[in-house]
Order: sequence, then C-alpha cells, then structure tokens
Amino acid sequence: MAGRLLLRACTTTLQLRSSVLAPLHRSMATVRGIPTDEEQATGLERRTLQALKQGKDPYSILKPKHYAGTKEDPHIVPGIGTKRLVGCLCEEDNTAIVWFWLHEGEAQRCPSCGSHYKLVHHELPH
Amino acid sequence: MAHQVHAYHMVDPSPWPLTGAVGALLLTSGLAIWMHFHDMTLLALGLILLLLTMYQWWRDIIREGTFQGHHTPPVQKGLRYGMILFITSEVFFFLGFFWAFYHASLAPTPELGGCWPPTGITPLDPFEVPLLNTAVLLASGVTVTWAHHSIMEGHRKEAIQSLALTILLGFYFTFLQAMEYYEAPFTIADGVYGSTFFVATGFHGLHVIIGSTFLAICLLRQVLYHFTSDHHFGFEAAAWYWHFVDVVWLFLYISIYWWGS
Repeated sequence: MAGRLLLRACTTTLQLRSSVLAPLHRSMATVRGIPTDEEQATGLERRTLQALKQGKDPYSILKPKHYAGTKEDPHIVPGIGTKRLVGCLCEEDNTAIVWFWLHEGEAQRCPSCGSHYKLVHHELPH
Repeated sequence: MAHQVHAYHMVDPSPWPLTGAVGALLLTSGLAIWMHFHDMTLLALGLILLLLTMYQWWRDIIREGTFQGHHTPPVQKGLRYGMILFITSEVFFFLGFFWAFYHASLAPTPELGGCWPPTGITPLDPFEVPLLNTAVLLASGVTVTWAHHSIMEGHRKEAIQSLALTILLGFYFTFLQAMEYYEAPFTIADGVYGSTFFVATGFHGLHVIIGSTFLAICLLRQVLYHFTSDHHFGFEAAAWYWHFVDVVWLFLYISIYWWGS
C-alpha cells in the first residue's frame, strides 16, 4: 500500500509540475530557478568570462599562442607598458631560462637561441 | 576599478588568521588546563574564538567570490587543488587509525586471549544497525549527486529538495550512531578493541557532523541564489567531502565492524 501511495504521489507531482511550469515562459536563460553565469557573474569573474566568450584573453588565463619565432612569424608578446620581461625556454625541457627586457618597437632576438619577439601594446583591462 | 592584468585574487588583509591562531592556542592550552585542573574557561574561550573565526572567514570568502566576483576560473582551479589536498590529508589522518586497528587485530597479544575480537568483547552485529548506516550513507551519496546534477541543469526546486534529503540522511546516520554508542556493550576503556573502535568511528562521526554542516551551509546558499549552473564550487567541495566521509565509513564497516567481529 505504501508503494501505491508513493507512486500516486510521484505521478501527481509530475502532473502538477508540468501544468504549473508550462505557462511560465521566461526569456532569460534561467528556466527552472537557478541563475546562469551570464545573468549573475560579477566583477573580475564576469570580465574574464565575457572576454573569453569574445575570443579575447586580457588576463592571460590561457596558454600563450604558439609562434614559430622567426623574423616573419615572431612571438607576439602583449604588454601594457613600453617594456616587458620575457623568459625564453630556448629548447623544450631547458632548466635555464633566458630572461631579457623586451622593448616596444622592432622585434628583438633572444640572446641565446635567436628567436624573435615583438612587443604589442594592449590597453590595461578595466 | 581593477588595475591588475592577471586573473588571480590578491586578498585584502584580514584579521581572521590571527584570531584563528589565538583560538587554536587557547584550545590546546585550554585542553591541558582542563585535564589537569578541571577548569573549562580557556577551552570555552578557545572554542568561541574558533567558531567566530570560521564563521567570519568563510563569510568573507563568500563575499569575495559570489558578491565581488574575485573567483575567476584560475582562482577556482586553485580552490579545487586546495580542497583535494585537504581531503588527501584527511585520508592520511584516518589511515593512521586503520593502521592502529590492523596492528592490534592481525596479531592479537596474549593479554587479549590471542584472539580477535578479544576475550570478553561482544562486538556489534554488523548486519544490524551498522548495515543500515551503510545503506543510509550510500543513499546520501546518491542524493548529493542528484543535487549536483539538479544545480547544473538549473532545477532550483529539485536541487533544494535533494540537498535537504542528503542532510536529513546525514542526521539520521548521526542519530543511529549515537544510539549505537549508547547501547554498546563495550566502552572506549575496554582495551585496544575499545580504543580502536571508538577513536576510529568517533572521528568518523565528527567528520559526518562537519560534512552535514558544510552541506547545510550550501543549502542555505542555494536557497539564497548564490550558485549558478556553471559556478558552484562551494557545493562541489561539500559533495567531495561528503563522498570522502562515505568512503571512510565503507572502510570502517568492512574492517572493524565486519572483518573485526
């Protein structure tokens, strides 16, 4: 008997749910009461999510794009000022990083392996 | 306005680490004072300070993450690593008590009668309340997973119901275990059997209470619309912790209740 009562309760709930929910037509993404990031994310989290959606990465969350490092295809280094520190791993698994300042203007070469690096100016994200 | 070019959270200065440290000092010294001089003042002070610290520290984290948006994807990833590392440390904590149990029970000494359970100990029947407890915790693992899927699919009502059910099952376990403790024919003072049994199951019970509390906070936050369908790490952390508590029980049940009977 308990089983039959449980079954009846379940089917009644299901019927009620579908009859109550159908008329509720929402234009927002929240269909059943829990907000989405699109609706509720705020602050820096919102800015990062919006930027990533547009294919941009102003906060350097993703791995940098891969470049050949040649004169025709230099490593593009985003920067907010006139110079930025670059650490070059000349070969994979190298433990000694070659550090140097990359200045705006013409592309510079790594003093060790000669890869080309070019500073590209970006606005400070805010 | 934000002037950082990275996605990490540079936390503002906070007094809670200091109050937490002072609270820990009062708790430890208070414990020693209580044991020797039967005075609970320091202990009580330490407990109050610790509870206040936990409340305010975690409230601040909720403010920083949910209300101010500091928990970007990289920050969330760090929090995930943190929770996993913490749970791993808890695994090692319990590993110690299992080591003690197996050390005592695999080669029982002559003082115990050379057998396990030791002479004079009537162990609890593993197929009575302990088996029910196992079913209760396993069911709660199902309901918490149900709650997670409800959140991810945006079903508010289902999420609240399944999360509430999980917490109720947790309370049921604690209630049943308390009854078992009261009715048990042996005590913690009954040799190494009593020690290993009550310390291992006792710490597990404490972790059930902690896990239930964590889930209850998540229920409150869910009702208050804190979680989104994509970002609800507080809930995930609570669910991970709850599954860990469940797994520890399974090991306890198999080792101490069943094999050890």
